[in-house]
Order: sequence, then structure tokens, then C-alpha cells
Amino acid sequence: MASITRRKFLAATGGTAGAIATQGFFPAVLRAQAEPLRIGCPLPLTGPFAALAADMQRGAQLAQDELNAKGGVMGRKVEVLFRDDELKPAVGAQRTKELIENQKCQFIVGGLAAHVQMAINEQTKKAKVLFISTSQSDEISAKPDTSPITFHEALNPTITSRVMGTWVAQNLGKKWWIIYADYAWGKQNNAVLQDTLQKNGGTLLGATPYPLGSAEFSAHLPKIQAAKPDVLMSMTPGADNIAFLKQVRSFGMDKTMKIAQPLLWISYLKEGGPELYSDIYGSINWYWELQDTIPSAKKFVEASMKKFNIPPGDYGAYSYSGVLEVARGVELAKSTDSEAVANALRKSPVYDHFKGKQWWRACDNKSMQDMWIVKGRGPGKTKGDWGLMDMVAKVTADEKYDRTCAEKGFV
Amino acid sequence: MGALISWGGRHPVAAFGMFFAVFPFLMPYKSLASQVLIFGLFALGFNLLYGYTGLLSFGHAAYYGLGAYGTGIALAKLKIGSLWLGIAAGPLLAVLGGAAIGFFCLRRRGIYFAMLTLAFAQLLYFVAFHLPDVTGGDDGLRGIPLLPLNLFGWKIDLEGSLAFYYFTFVLVWLAVAGLKRILDSPFGSVLQAIRENGDRASACGYDVRRVKHLSFVFSAFFAGLAGGLDALRLAVVPVESLYWVTSGQVVIMTLLGGAGTFFGPFVGAGTYLVLGDRLAVFTERWPLVIGLIFMAFVLFLPKGIWGTLVANLPGGAPAEGKWH
Repeated sequence: MASITRRKFLAATGGTAGAIATQGFFPAVLRAQAEPLRIGCPLPLTGPFAALAADMQRGAQLAQDELNAKGGVMGRKVEVLFRDDELKPAVGAQRTKELIENQKCQFIVGGLAAHVQMAINEQTKKAKVLFISTSQSDEISAKPDTSPITFHEALNPTITSRVMGTWVAQNLGKKWWIIYADYAWGKQNNAVLQDTLQKNGGTLLGATPYPLGSAEFSAHLPKIQAAKPDVLMSMTPGADNIAFLKQVRSFGMDKTMKIAQPLLWISYLKEGGPELYSDIYGSINWYWELQDTIPSAKKFVEASMKKFNIPPGDYGAYSYSGVLEVARGVELAKSTDSEAVANALRKSPVYDHFKGKQWWRACDNKSMQDMWIVKGRGPGKTKGDWGLMDMVAKVTADEKYDRTCAEKGFV
Repeated sequence: MGALISWGGRHPVAAFGMFFAVFPFLMPYKSLASQVLIFGLFALGFNLLYGYTGLLSFGHAAYYGLGAYGTGIALAKLKIGSLWLGIAAGPLLAVLGGAAIGFFCLRRRGIYFAMLTLAFAQLLYFVAFHLPDVTGGDDGLRGIPLLPLNLFGWKIDLEGSLAFYYFTFVLVWLAVAGLKRILDSPFGSVLQAIRENGDRASACGYDVRRVKHLSFVFSAFFAGLAGGLDALRLAVVPVESLYWVTSGQVVIMTLLGGAGTFFGPFVGAGTYLVLGDRLAVFTERWPLVIGLIFMAFVLFLPKGIWGTLVANLPGGAPAEGKWH
């Protein structure tokens, strides 16, 4: 065995390491003259929410293209960088760190699962990077999680369940059974629905939690069937939704009760087909047939049809709007400093990117927006590939649907 | 090169220190370097039990998670206001958990032992899931402050990712030195004797169950320290920290790097994380690539990356059970 002195060893390792360090295993991207404005977008591109994430990816891409076609933002090209958060908070946090530290993203728009978005939010708060969340959550816009540079573009369980619950109690019936996925989002919806039902003088016959992602409902269904509710309220997100509706229909429950859910997702209507979703009620933040009445919606749908040959979906609309809001904030502030952009957005909070007037509430940076009550069209009534819903009612944006600033911890 | 590695083999703690002192500058960004250190430490703890004692735990997420929650809850919920106490709370909780869980699991051997460790870890996962007031539930424990480091009256801000890296580096380095001390001791030799032949070790008069239990607790300590550091790094503790997937990851990292070798866990963690990070930029199918590499190693080079490298060194492979 060859011998080596400590000094030689030090020199050798130091030298090699130094050489590697200066050249770098991973050379940095060559800097262009006008550095593009980079927006990071972590999404669960793989896993049970992949269909929604793909929609969101398309939405953010459309916003990027639209901004660049207009010559960018303050003369800089906009570049949206996508990362797969795998629906895991630790991965979402790490990818966000990578986007900020390595790719020098100055803004983050994205997130689809509440718990992943919370982990992303901790990174953006630390790095002082503005974050526009596109995931449903009550906490993200409430203290202590929120911050002056945390914005919330999506709806939240309080708003959707208050809106949907009120409408269902007034229009479909007042005897309910609730079934919900046993995690934060499901539990919050359940609590708000029960509260709303009580305020509307209804009766709760029962509430069943089930573990998210375990798509076996047959054990719960006979009990619900025997209770004979007017309405079965379901919070069965993602792929669970299709499994749930299949089982409900195979039990024939669709014939004896109305089925409603605080949220409908067009990606799953497409996947499940009109037989499955026929006459299922839900609320939604956006539906592409709004283009018939709203000019900004028409522009959005046309761009999407042209590029992807798919109309944008509900969650794609969030990320589209989120990226455009970053751009609007930068233009207003004439700066890419997150705090300056946040202040600018709060100072001129009203915007309309795809469905009419929206605004940021000053205390919690929560986007207030219109919603629609929809129901699935039956077979034979659909229009084209994506005309899968009838719009039943419009619910105009109102701050009363969310918790008050005081309830959210703002004095 | 062979001589160099052989020097590193004789002074692993010093070699570790020198390599990781420059490591962040080899990485595309600094917090990836911290992640490699932390998961390397986690794998190191796992390797003490699996590689050196021959006990395969499928539930090491439990101690990593307990460490993360220990530190996280101390700083975010109890607001103890001291970085050192916060850091200490993690491994302390992990050691308590390891002592209790090890007590039960070590009554069985082989697959039954592995399944029991898994069951206990899953049990903790569901406990954490259903205690949102303490753990944050499935939204995760948020808002863990990274307090400034108070070192003999000096205050050092750790918010920068390089500062945090070196803070982590020093702690992990101390842990590595501690592990070497453990393995160098007669106790360390008994561990390896048990791995090779438990009956003979018993016949030699060693209290095999007690030694195994101690090894279990030490292993939990290192995993817990890693968990605590990760809680500081991310400012959140996701409930998935306790999930079986986390246990699976540490098994893969250790086997990929080389179980039973001193640096193997770090090489495995580094390969897994850096490759994953770089590949994720190009494809969402990166686990496929890592899976294929992993399978190739298990099938053709079961000693793992580091184990194979060391075995093929000019100057001959160090004897079994020695430092590589």
C-alpha cells in the first residue's frame, strides 16, 4: 500500500476540490443580456392530482405566452419554470428552494394540495419571495400562516361550502348526509357545511369521514341509503370522486337523493364521463362556457383552444390568473421586489383576467371572486368534448362568504 | 488515488470533514448540500443498525419523524426560545421512542422484527395525523423559527443557506466522530460480532439483546438528530416524515451507497438526492432512473457504490468490517 503524508493528502484533495468548485459540476446558465423574469411553479404533476396539475401547467403557460407576446414585463421576457412537487410537502419545499436559490425565481405561483402549499409558503416567507397560492385552504390566508407577501388566488373551504351549502339547503333539500375525506380540506368543508345547514334550518342525518385515497365506499353506503337523506354531500377529491360516484350509482342512490359536492372539477367530469356525472351538483370558480357572456373568458378560452385544443379548466384558470397578477404587480410597482409588488397589488386590488371583476381583500390578500353553481349534463346533452356542465346559478363575489378579517386573526 | 482513499480510510472523520467543508461549492445550490448532509446522517444512523448490527428496520421514519417533531414542537409550539434546547429536544424524543420501540421489536427476529418496526412507525404516523393541535395534523407543523446561534455570547444568524449548511456540517461532523468512537469501542466490535453470528456472540458471554437494544437507541439518536435538523431546514414538519415511504428512502439510500461501510450512507444519500434534484428538472419520471440504478446495484454490485469502489481499489480491499 502506497504511503501518503497528511500534507500531500491535503494538497491533493484541496487542489481537486478547488478545481471542481471553480469549474462547477453544474455550470450556471449563461446569463442573457436582459435576464428574464422567472416565476417558479411547483405542482403535483405526478400522482392522483396529475390531471388538475396538467390543467394548471397549461394555464400558467398561456399566461407566460400572452405576456411575452405583448413584449414581456418591463421589457423582460417572462419564464415560468415548472417543478413536480409529487404531492409531498417536503418535496414541494425542496423544489421551491431550488427554484428560488438555483433558478433565481423572483416569484412563486402554484401549489394544489393544501399541505404542500403550506410547506411552500414557509420557504417563500423565509426567502422573502411573493407567493400566489392556487390551492384551497383556509389557513393560507389566515394568521399565523399568512404574510404580507402571501396571496391566495383560489377559493377556500369556507367560501365554497358556505356558497354551496346555502344554495343546496334552499334549492335541493334540508335533510343531509355528509361524506368527507378525513384530512384538513375535507374536515374544514364538513364543519362549514354543518354550520351552514344549521343556519338554514336543516337537519344533519349523519357525517362519515373516510381515509383519503381509499376508494372503497361500499361499507358506508347502505347506512346512508337507509337514512334517506334529501341530499348526499360529498367531499371526495381527486381520483376518489370517480370511484365514489360509481359506487353510489351502483347502489341506486342517485335515484332516491340528490348528490352535491362543494366542488366539481371539469378534469374529472371528462374522465368519468356524462353517465357518471349527470345531475351531480357542485360549485365551481370558472367554466369555459362563460365565454358566451364574459369577454375576458372568451379571450382565455380562445388562446387555450389555439395552443392546446382544450378549453382551460377550473384550476388552470387559477394559475393563469396568478401569473398575470404577478406581471400586473411588477408593472404597477415598476420593480421586481416582492414587498413592492405586494404593496402595489394591495393598492390597486381590482383585476379581471378571465371571468369578470376580482379583488384582493386588503387584510389577508385573499382573492374575492364570483362562483357558479353547476350540474353535470347527462349523456346526449353534452356539447363537444368539454361541454359537460349546465350553469344553474351565479353567486356574485362577496366578502361575507369568507371569514372576517378579525376571525382570521387580523385586528 | 488509492493511497488517498486509504488515508481517508484510516482517518475517516478527518476525510469527512475536509470533503464536506468544500461540498456546498460543488452543488448547484447550497440547501441541496444541507439536505445531503442531513439525509446522510439519517442513513448513517440506519446503517449502524442495519449495516453494522445486521438488524433491518423498516420503520426508521419513526425516529427521524420523532426528531423532527421534537425539535419542531419545542420551537414552534412550546416556544422554548433556545436553538440548542430545540436541537436537543429532537434526538431526545427519538431516543425515548427508540428505547421503547426497540424494547418490543427486539423480542422478534428477521422479518418479524422488520414488520414490527414498520408497524410502530405507522402507528406514530397515524397518531401525528390525528393530533392536529400538537403536530399540525396533515397540514404539517408550520412556523418553526430558525433562531440565531448563540455561541459563547456570539450571535450568528443562520437564515442564509450557507450559514445553515456550516451549522449542520459541524453537528453532523460531531455525530460522525461519535459514530466512529462507538464503532471503535469494544461495544462496536460486539455489534459486528452479532451481525456475523449472534449465537456465537451470545456463547462468548455477551448480552446480545442488551447490545442490540443499545445499538437501536444509538441509531434512533442519529436519525432523530437528522430529523431535528431537517425541521430547522424546512421550517415545517410534514406528517409524511413519519410515513413508511420515508423509511423506504433511507433503506434505498443506504443500500445504494453501500450498507456496512462507513461513508456508504452519505454516498447513497448524495447520489439519490442530487440525481433526483437534477433529473426532476427534466422529467417527472426521475424515480424510474433511480429505481433502475438501484436495481442494477442490488443485482450486480450488492456492495453499493461506495462498497464497490473501495473493494476495487488498487492496494487491495480493506478487510471486512474495517473502515472504508
